[in-house]
Amino acid sequence: MDRLLPLIVAVPLLGAAVLVGAGRRMPRLAAETVACACAAASTALACAALARATTVVSWAGGWRPRHGVSGGIVLVGDRIGLGLAALASVLVLAVLAYSWRYFEEPPRGHSGAFPALVLLFQAGMCGFALTGDLFDAFVFFELMGVCGYALTGYHVEESRPVQGALAFGFVNSLGSYATLMGIALLYARTGELGMAAIGRQLDAAPERDALVAAAFVLVMTGLLVKAAAVPFHFWLPDAHAVAPTPVCLVLSGVMVETGVYGVARVHTTVFGGPGGIPAAGTRRVLVVLGVVSAVTGAVMCWQQRHIKRLLAFSTVGHTGLFLVGVGLLTDEGLSGTCLYVLGHAGAKAALFACTGILLARLGSVDEHELHGRGRDIRGIGLLFALGGLALAGLPPFGTGLGKAVVEEGSAWLPALFGLVSALTGGAALRVAARVFLGTGERGREEEPETAGGEEEPETAGGEEEPETGRRIRLAPPPMVSVAVALLAGALAVGTVPALAEATYAASSAFLDHAGYAATVLGGRAGGGQPGHAAAAHGGAWWTWTGAALGLLSAALAVVLAAAAVVGLVPSRGWSAPLRRLHSGHIGDYVAWTTAGIGLLSLLTLW
Amino acid sequence: MTRRARLWVLAAGLLGTAALFAAACLRMPPFGGTWHPYGDRAVAAAIAQRTANTVSSVNFDQRALDTLGEESILFAAVLGTVVLLRRTPDERRVAPQPASVPPALRRYAITVLPLALLIGLYVVAHGQLSPGGGFQGGVVVATALHLLYIGVDHRALERVRPVGLYELADGVGEGAYVVLGAAGLLAGSAYLANTLPHGTFNTLASGGTVPLLNAAVGMEVASAVVVLLARFLAQALEIVDEKTVDEKEEKEKE
Repeated sequence: MDRLLPLIVAVPLLGAAVLVGAGRRMPRLAAETVACACAAASTALACAALARATTVVSWAGGWRPRHGVSGGIVLVGDRIGLGLAALASVLVLAVLAYSWRYFEEPPRGHSGAFPALVLLFQAGMCGFALTGDLFDAFVFFELMGVCGYALTGYHVEESRPVQGALAFGFVNSLGSYATLMGIALLYARTGELGMAAIGRQLDAAPERDALVAAAFVLVMTGLLVKAAAVPFHFWLPDAHAVAPTPVCLVLSGVMVETGVYGVARVHTTVFGGPGGIPAAGTRRVLVVLGVVSAVTGAVMCWQQRHIKRLLAFSTVGHTGLFLVGVGLLTDEGLSGTCLYVLGHAGAKAALFACTGILLARLGSVDEHELHGRGRDIRGIGLLFALGGLALAGLPPFGTGLGKAVVEEGSAWLPALFGLVSALTGGAALRVAARVFLGTGERGREEEPETAGGEEEPETAGGEEEPETGRRIRLAPPPMVSVAVALLAGALAVGTVPALAEATYAASSAFLDHAGYAATVLGGRAGGGQPGHAAAAHGGAWWTWTGAALGLLSAALAVVLAAAAVVGLVPSRGWSAPLRRLHSGHIGDYVAWTTAGIGLLSLLTLW
Repeated sequence: MTRRARLWVLAAGLLGTAALFAAACLRMPPFGGTWHPYGDRAVAAAIAQRTANTVSSVNFDQRALDTLGEESILFAAVLGTVVLLRRTPDERRVAPQPASVPPALRRYAITVLPLALLIGLYVVAHGQLSPGGGFQGGVVVATALHLLYIGVDHRALERVRPVGLYELADGVGEGAYVVLGAAGLLAGSAYLANTLPHGTFNTLASGGTVPLLNAAVGMEVASAVVVLLARFLAQALEIVDEKTVDEKEEKEKE
């Protein structure tokens, strides 16, 4: 198995090469079959590697370390890295199944282009999740980015997708440059590029000086841009609102989370030792940014009527929670976050899948315009509402379990997690009630938006084109079954004790700075023993308080949604300054990204 | 944000970043030192693998996985461009008109073209021996072909450049790299392992898989750049809005 690990990345790349090489002659059915087969093969490989008890270490080209040093690149398949690769692959499969004949007929000679880009995206995410080399991580990070920009701008016929893809591309490229500069600084100091090797060199002569701090800030900047932490988050709602709906499944479900994974991975392997950044510094950075992102995302989510934009802001909010969970730097925090990410991926992707059905059927994603028009597809409405409840943390969804486990870390966490869950879940439930039940008023059209005396345009989402080419009458079975399967996945995460147990063991192994280096460079079998660690610590599982808090936030979400539908909650006005910051002006976004680097430095060096 | 506010935010951010980076640079190892852990290791490994060009040994042997990623980035970027610059329903294709080219420019282009092509191929083929390789040589080859556009016109370029064929070569180059990597697995070693005989140092056939991977990258880069430029040229010369066409036709009627 060790030797086969790189194939998880190579198989989708080969599939993309075939699709591009033969794309002109390939009928659409063949192209989509090839893509599904490659994505499935890669998923199977990742799952097979996950089934093994120890960490899989694979040196590309066979450049194993001699006397503890190597010039080669290592792929490290530990539980969490492999788990992320598997999650990404499963979501890519979901995207391919969902978009099976979903898009209108592609232009002649382009039938392989969309699946090929999706496969390249998968290779980028899997490579990033598995690599144990900092520069190699940067390479796959870029691959992920390039595919993301192209997929976001897929509908070039309209101007907004191009604008969204541009914002995505600009801000993420800026972040990548920062990361590359940080890697260069670390290379200058240590002469190494492998994460474990850099960490060991830093520890060999602990000097916690400006260079290490600057490298930390710069490397983290790129990863936090991908993770859409405030103030690096502006690109996300713009991109997610305009990307083709199938692509949103991957963007929101797993790509943003790879940023959080990168933060955690780089922190533990490179900066986690005595020569790195003190734990208190990292904790401050991640918790402060996480809290701000969570609150911003949740508040902005509540304000939206463009459904895809609403879901995008909820991703910002939840990613903030993930950053807080990771930032606690405890086994519970990390394992809870992993479960939360899994559950969130299922719930959020299912919500996007339902939104895609709305768009295909009714030609709009505007909550107000769609008022009551989903009455005849109540089944989809039920799925949407369940997705909203999952976002709100209702037990036994995986989101609820993850939330409950992280919340045990500190007394103030339940308030934050509850607020964000209730607001984001409540917003989704409000949409479900208005669109599928037709409750409440139709929504005040063109309510005068006087903030500072000038009219403010709002992204409504009424003028979206159905992506199927023409409107469909009945939702095709693949689209509905993908949504159902994703929700079932979110439910399974919260109901299978073995998964939570394995996650807990994986998290303690993940956070072991010295253990990682020993596994990678010294060939020591690593990976923790599932069951043993969980039994010793009680593991990460439902507690009465956790379940009660989950029920409470779900109830709060229902109350908020009900109050909004009958018009009791002022939906706008009080947050106008915050809304105005999300201007859509790329210059603004660039300015905030640069300011974010300054903010990160302050928080690190405090 | 107002322009002024944006500039203030940007200035504050840049100032902070600059201060941080300057402080870090002061703590860098001094210039011209003798401590080069990675360089020493890479050179020793390159000589052991009988690859005269150490940079190629790093790119195609020691860190061949990075190159696979980099090649894929170019591959994805070109594919993305093809997708984004496709002809949309509201655009129409018109045949570009032949343009007159000064004779001196034409003579220059026709003379330099075969030379540039040869140099490009040389740079690809000698990647394992001397500075250069698939990335650099591939770009030179693609550039050489486009001298036809500068020296003659777009139609002449199109005659020697069937885009479909280059798209095929693009895919084959990318696929060949992936498959060559898997050959290492089949030979019982690791993915992308240099399992072929290493040959005699400083000869064309030295370096084991390095020249093969190098050739795959050269093929991919040359065809990718051709496809990329073809898309941009088509966008600039051939594809027009329906509106523009209608306006033109109206003018002609008048």
